Amino acid sequence: MSRLICPFCGPRELREFEFHKTLPNAGESPFERVYLRVDSLTLSVEHWQHVQGCRAWLQIERNPSTGEVLMTRLARSGEAP
Amino acid sequence: MKGPTPRYSALALLRARFKGAGFWMPLWTGRTLKDGYDVVVVGAGGHGLATAFHLVRDHGLKVAVLERRLVGYGNVGRNTTIVRSNYLLPENHYFYEDSLRRWETLSRDLNYNVMYSPRGVVDICLSDGDMIDAARRGNAMRLAGIDSDLMEIDALERFAPELAPRRTRRFPIVGALVQRRGGTVRHDAVAWGYARAATALGTDIIENCDVQGLRTEAGVVTGVETSQGFVRANRVLFATAGHTGMVGKMIGVPLPIETHLLQAMVTEPIKPLINSVLVYVHPGHGETYILQSDRGGVVMGGHLDGFPSYTREGQWHRMEDVVQGAVELLPQVGGLKILRQWAGTNDMTMDGSPIMDRVKYDNVFINAGWCYGGFKTIPASGAACAKLVATGEAADIARGFRLSRFATGHLLDERGGGPFPVRL
Repeated sequence: MSRLICPFCGPRELREFEFHKTLPNAGESPFERVYLRVDSLTLSVEHWQHVQGCRAWLQIERNPSTGEVLMTRLARSGEAP
Repeated sequence: MKGPTPRYSALALLRARFKGAGFWMPLWTGRTLKDGYDVVVVGAGGHGLATAFHLVRDHGLKVAVLERRLVGYGNVGRNTTIVRSNYLLPENHYFYEDSLRRWETLSRDLNYNVMYSPRGVVDICLSDGDMIDAARRGNAMRLAGIDSDLMEIDALERFAPELAPRRTRRFPIVGALVQRRGGTVRHDAVAWGYARAATALGTDIIENCDVQGLRTEAGVVTGVETSQGFVRANRVLFATAGHTGMVGKMIGVPLPIETHLLQAMVTEPIKPLINSVLVYVHPGHGETYILQSDRGGVVMGGHLDGFPSYTREGQWHRMEDVVQGAVELLPQVGGLKILRQWAGTNDMTMDGSPIMDRVKYDNVFINAGWCYGGFKTIPASGAACAKLVATGEAADIARGFRLSRFATGHLLDERGGGPFPVRL
């Protein structure tokens, strides 16, 4: 994994992107939403931002054991990262 | 100390001279899994082995250490060997100082040379703001009785001449916070030394034994299911570092932990150049820490890769950042070839401080969340964690490391960065 495909900018170097947080939240309480993490070996759903490019917020699915990127799309509006 | 290896001493060396190569035995021998134990420790890394050693020596318990792969395969063999106690928060610096004091005598305690080298840790300051920050941290340490020296440029030039702090640079060095007792320890020797000492006292270390689940009866854990069958255990401790998230999933407790990669690399060996451990947070591109190993290789590391990963393959751009920082700091290393580069999985908590507590069951404990600072705390963590597991009471210096602090707001956020492990 050395590139991500931004829906606006196309394939770009990984260093242009910034990881923000894994999804979904582990629960509804503020403690669970802020501090607890879903830590998976096989599927990680994450919010990233293309900080050094178009600055779009992205939702990315990856396999953290292989580094394979399974899906990249814009994070939906109304779904706060 | 009974066991397969003789007690190491000058006399043993002399005896070996006459007895020949047959005198030296393996550091520890393979053991077979018994039916049950007082404590089953999961993970034969630094923390697991140190805890097992203290459980046997200080509390007289019967202990097995189960390891999915090999002794010292994880972060205890992958770190950059730095030990220090230059932390700001009281909960942290008392604990890390306890650890540093134990490093000073560890070779004697284990009868195994861990090569503690108090060569000094130098946190380089590039601005007046850095110096104010360093003074604050240094003063907090001094109030706790920990050595720290705030050096301006003359003193720094004497302490670390290789830095040439007066050299014209794009980002001039203005001073440093130095902890002279900080330094390095031979990392593999720590794993081997603890494994040897623990097995000599009767601990069973079982390698290639994958723990797959917990067996419970009436809300109490009675043992662990492993790839080599069921093992009865009165108490279970997980010390699995980079796979703590998986443990959380196995026992059904989401943890405030994300797993990230941290890289390190080493160059070809050269003659002695770098006297101490240099830590350089450079404007714009992260961090580089750099030291010279006893073999002469220049060891470097930096910031986390930046996103959750179990691949143990470092990202190229982070390696580039580290090398840029190293060359910026010490231009003379610019021509060296990097021989090896590797990465380890780090259990990053949401405040950057560890967790040493019960989880879910009365007799299940975790020792985790050491982030990228686990190596330096191994001796203190072993003693404190053994006390927790054996008596059920947290050691005084480890009371701040309870899991409930995230829910109650008593965070130990040394970095002041909030619940995002990768943000600088």
